[in-house]
Amino acid sequence: MPADEFRTKALTWLTEHARPFAGESADGNFAPSLKESKAFQKSLWEAGLAGITWPKEYGGQGLGEDEVIAFNEVASDFLLPTGPFVIGLGMPGPTILELGTEEQKKRHIPPMLSGDEIWCQLFSEPNGGSDVASLQTSAVRTEMGWLINGQKVWTSGAQFSDFGAILVRTDPTVPRHSGITMFIVDMHHPGVTVRPLVVATGDAPFNEVYFDDVEVPLDAVIGEVNQGWAAAVVMLRNERVTIGAGGRSRSNPLGYDALREIAADIGTADDTGVRRRLANLYARETAVAAFGRVLHEGALAGNPIGARGSAAKLAGAELGLWASDAAEDIVGQDIALLTGKSAKAARMILRAPGSATAGGSNEIQRNIVAERVLGLPKDPGAADRKTPFNQLKLSK
Amino acid sequence: MTLIDNPDQQALAESVRKLVAARSPLTKVREVALSDQSYDADVWRLVCELGVPGLAIPEQYGGAGGTWADLFIVLRELGAGLVQTPLFASSVLAGGALLASDDEELKSTWLPRLADGSTIGALAVSEENDATWGSQPSTVTAADGKVSGTKVAVLNGAEADLLIVQASDGLYLVQTQQSGVTIAGDEVLDLTRSIATVRFDGAEGHRLAGTADVVLDAVIDLANVALAAEQSGAIKSCIDITAAYANMRYSFGLPIGAYQGVKHKLADDYTEWSLVDASVRVASEALTSGASTASAAAAAARVLASPAYTRAAKNMMLLHGGIGFTWEHDAHLFYRNAVTGKVLLGGPLFQQDRLADKLGV
Ligand SMILES: Cc1cc2nc3c(=O)[nH]c(=O)nc-3n(C[C@H](O)[C@H](O)[C@H](O)COP(=O)(O)OP(=O)(O)OC[C@H]3O[C@@H](n4cnc5c(N)ncnc54)[C@H](O)[C@@H]3O)c2cc1C
Repeated sequence: MPADEFRTKALTWLTEHARPFAGESADGNFAPSLKESKAFQKSLWEAGLAGITWPKEYGGQGLGEDEVIAFNEVASDFLLPTGPFVIGLGMPGPTILELGTEEQKKRHIPPMLSGDEIWCQLFSEPNGGSDVASLQTSAVRTEMGWLINGQKVWTSGAQFSDFGAILVRTDPTVPRHSGITMFIVDMHHPGVTVRPLVVATGDAPFNEVYFDDVEVPLDAVIGEVNQGWAAAVVMLRNERVTIGAGGRSRSNPLGYDALREIAADIGTADDTGVRRRLANLYARETAVAAFGRVLHEGALAGNPIGARGSAAKLAGAELGLWASDAAEDIVGQDIALLTGKSAKAARMILRAPGSATAGGSNEIQRNIVAERVLGLPKDPGAADRKTPFNQLKLSK
Repeated sequence: MTLIDNPDQQALAESVRKLVAARSPLTKVREVALSDQSYDADVWRLVCELGVPGLAIPEQYGGAGGTWADLFIVLRELGAGLVQTPLFASSVLAGGALLASDDEELKSTWLPRLADGSTIGALAVSEENDATWGSQPSTVTAADGKVSGTKVAVLNGAEADLLIVQASDGLYLVQTQQSGVTIAGDEVLDLTRSIATVRFDGAEGHRLAGTADVVLDAVIDLANVALAAEQSGAIKSCIDITAAYANMRYSFGLPIGAYQGVKHKLADDYTEWSLVDASVRVASEALTSGASTASAAAAAARVLASPAYTRAAKNMMLLHGGIGFTWEHDAHLFYRNAVTGKVLLGGPLFQQDRLADKLGV
């Protein structure tokens, strides 16, 4: 079976080139540099293990979902320094493959896969996170192309990105969903300023990004001018699937494997309550991964994932929050310390609310599931769908 | 391997769905529930004509030689309609026990009859004051093949022609049409399930070759996935019925489904159902392929399904407002079924402990 061959190939390669999860717990922190990440992604791609389902002509492997599943299973035992590529490969990448021009695909997809170029997603603004369509960053038509001005916020990875997929308003005189365009923007353009934002964990994974007369050419449009909302929907759908339908990873500090190890270490693994917590965690964690498989395999059989991706995103976020509660109980008082075996779990507890917010909050996902999967009526808040954008009230 | 229904399974699900819609809508379920019949003989005959009871029974024993996954798909569809049949007790519990035993003689005698539905089987394991299930010490004894003692919570016990009975020294096949067997149907919360207490007074039994612990362990796995599959279907019905109502019932000038208090509960129920459905599929796959993770997967499916169902059924009652609390509305039928399903065949704590055991925690 080809998927089994692929599994063997992946395992052999990862064993030689990646850090096993078990090795990591012995020698402390794992904080790869950007350089290491890029080098790793490049060799991963050269080994034929990146872009598994992506078309061959753009540097992908042209394989199927079975191979992706095989890779994810094998990879869950390793620590892969691929974090900087998650956004590009999860969101702008698939969106360009779906809506981009031939030139855009040829130019951008291969360096994305090989780790040469990193991407970010520039949607959220100070006045519009959940309500993405209230964005105010504008682009006006020039002789050469378009001129972008405004501010984005919460942009993950902007500090090291080469390109971004940005949503801007190109026509403020029409209702808000109708005047938006998505562009490819060069993050090295002199008019782009990136300022790090420190988050609850003390890290600075995301940024404010300012656009000051940033010029983009005509062929930087993804999809069509003023049809950016449709492109955004495609990208958000990909985002939810990327975030929500991930596999089970042994290296997740709030995962079943890690919490079980902690329980064994601190001697609570025989406690009935702890055992039941772990059993529940296993059930939820495997079900979230299985749900991802159901969606993907269904899509391959002709049943597109659609808004069910929001259910996957919600399930993943709720799992993280649920696991935080479980970890607090299992770890006990040591959860207050950033030392020892449980330090990673403690840090991850801080991170869980952020993961539940990124890519659309749980409330927004619930709205989407209710409206688009279950067919319930639109939120009354969407009443301003017909008002021209420049006549809308945007804040108190 | 794939987690989605293959074309044959889709066709099977479709024919069962049609049968349920035409012959066993909820009005009919209610009628049967309030009659002195514990299941609809007419519907059971049609289910048997489709070959359902023998789906997972090998051809050599008169079955269709399909997979457990095929049978679970039917249970999902029947569960969605709360259809009363002895399928679970007969094909999963009794059939599963016989299949897992080493008793060629009893297998070749009885499996063909279970497969064509001419005989109804049930499994008698539980005893008074024991919330666990499966291979526990039994107070039922057997001397020279004469079985004595009492079993409780026997699903479809009152309808069964044969019982697989756990006694202190192994499993016995006992035919119910004999003087040593007294069956009393219990008064039950769930109007769609029949549960009985069975007393054996020196009843004639055939000891089943094979180790009782091994057989019962295999049956628990099957029962867990089967019940989770039924519950998965039922959860989806609770959601669909409630979503339809939320679209047509107005309050303050809007359909109630426009309000997030209503929307978000339904979205949570749907998301939870998605996990239940996926876990049932993983467990079916694992059981069918004989994977080493099968027992854990089966328990995990059950650990998720049973509480998700009670929540969805409760929400169904609540989101229908006053009407949801009336006898006339179907919500309480689901709620009763959910609460019962949660404690049947080993309650939630037993299942969590079993999962932890199977995981080696
Ligand atoms: C770790 C992290 C990484 C991120 N990375 C990126 C990125 O790379 N690119 C990018 O563009 N954005 C990114 N974001 C932004 C993210 O998409 C937004 O934070 C998110 O969509 C919420 O928007 P907001 O922060 O403006 O909150 P708000 O929209 O102000 O929401 C505040 C609260 O109100 C609730 N709420 C809002 N509207 C409704 C409603 N209609 N019904 C019910 N409740 C509602 C929300 O659920 C939330 O609880 C990131 C965020 C985080 C936390």
